Amino acid sequence: MSLLERLGAGHLDDRSFARLWVDGAEHPHLSSCAACRRRYDAYADWIDDIGSDARAHADRTFPAERLAVQQAQILRRLETLDRPTRVIPFPRASRVVIGHQSPMRRWMVAAAAGLIAGVGLAQVVDRSFFERQDAAQLSHFTASDANQRASAIHPASLKDGDEEFLDVTEALGPRVKELRALDDLTPHMRDVDTRK
Amino acid sequence: MSGTSAALAATREADASTASAVKSLQAEGRHAEARDRFAELVGRHQRRATRIAYHYVRDAAEADEAVQDAFVKAYSHLATFREELPFDVWFTRILINGCLDRIKARKRRERWQVPLASTGWGGTDGTAERDITERLPSSGQSPEDAVLTRERRRQIAEALAKLPDRQRAVFVLSQVEGCTSREVSALTGLNESTVRVHLFRAIRKLRTLLAPGTAAAARDQKGKRRVTS
Repeated sequence: MSLLERLGAGHLDDRSFARLWVDGAEHPHLSSCAACRRRYDAYADWIDDIGSDARAHADRTFPAERLAVQQAQILRRLETLDRPTRVIPFPRASRVVIGHQSPMRRWMVAAAAGLIAGVGLAQVVDRSFFERQDAAQLSHFTASDANQRASAIHPASLKDGDEEFLDVTEALGPRVKELRALDDLTPHMRDVDTRK
Repeated sequence: MSGTSAALAATREADASTASAVKSLQAEGRHAEARDRFAELVGRHQRRATRIAYHYVRDAAEADEAVQDAFVKAYSHLATFREELPFDVWFTRILINGCLDRIKARKRRERWQVPLASTGWGGTDGTAERDITERLPSSGQSPEDAVLTRERRRQIAEALAKLPDRQRAVFVLSQVEGCTSREVSALTGLNESTVRVHLFRAIRKLRTLLAPGTAAAARDQKGKRRVTS
């Protein structure tokens, strides 16, 4: 049946069906028109089917096992809700060190620490002081000093090795009178030369 | 219908006595017993609550969390529950408020996030969430029937997802959960006539969205969009 035919015969449309279904009212036309009654029943069934399909979709997504898990989680959360909050204590050692130390002991520890720090500091300061003095002496050594010292150095002798050695021995002879007797007893290089 | 009403009345009576028992046990400090009694209420309302939350937030994990939160909140605020109000109405109101908060928070989050290609149930691209139960073999249905049923459910889920929040909420409560307009009004805080208007609009919109031609056209358009992209 077309829309025009329905309008002509005073039949009900979808909009009227929706209104009737929502209000739960009974239109007088439905009792007299079998075609509209059939269409309305189909319409109502369609709405009911949507509801049952939507329900089935949700029930499939949440099977019994999933609901059991959910219930267990709920009860676990309720249990934590009822349990009084627990205060976690700080570790014992840290409390002893901070809280239960006598003032005398604290002073002693502070004095010992101060002493150790003082000795260490003194050593560091001394060393740095001497290092500073050495540095100052080095800074006095100028270029003119260097030149004077260089001129004081004489060139090496060109004599041959033995003569040079004898001269050295002579030069190193005892200048002290008391040791001369002892020196005489000692064999010398010059004596060796004489034997030759 | 009268049988359903009688069952509902019996459930409500049982709820009221359980709730008052839990309250007194909580007051006496017998928490373990209070929890055990409250578990009865959880068992009675869990499935319905999960369905409502799922249709509200359209995400299974988030619905799960919303239901848990609602039960925990109900337990901790049971002292404020008045026995003259049905427990399911009081509890569902807590649940719906929680779901609305979650939806608000999600919208706020999504403002700063790039939308994913598929965002679960009734996502932006219209893909339905595929859970493991959909892949399990169903009993007594031929594969063709199973495919058709799945396809129909997917279309309904998509259509429901396209409804405005209020219309969807009213439709789910009245049609999926079988609440009367007065109960929906009590649950949502909306006027009873406003509930009826939302329900009427929801049905009209669903009729348009689920018309055979509309669904096929939407599928074709989606296919074309995929080809061009």
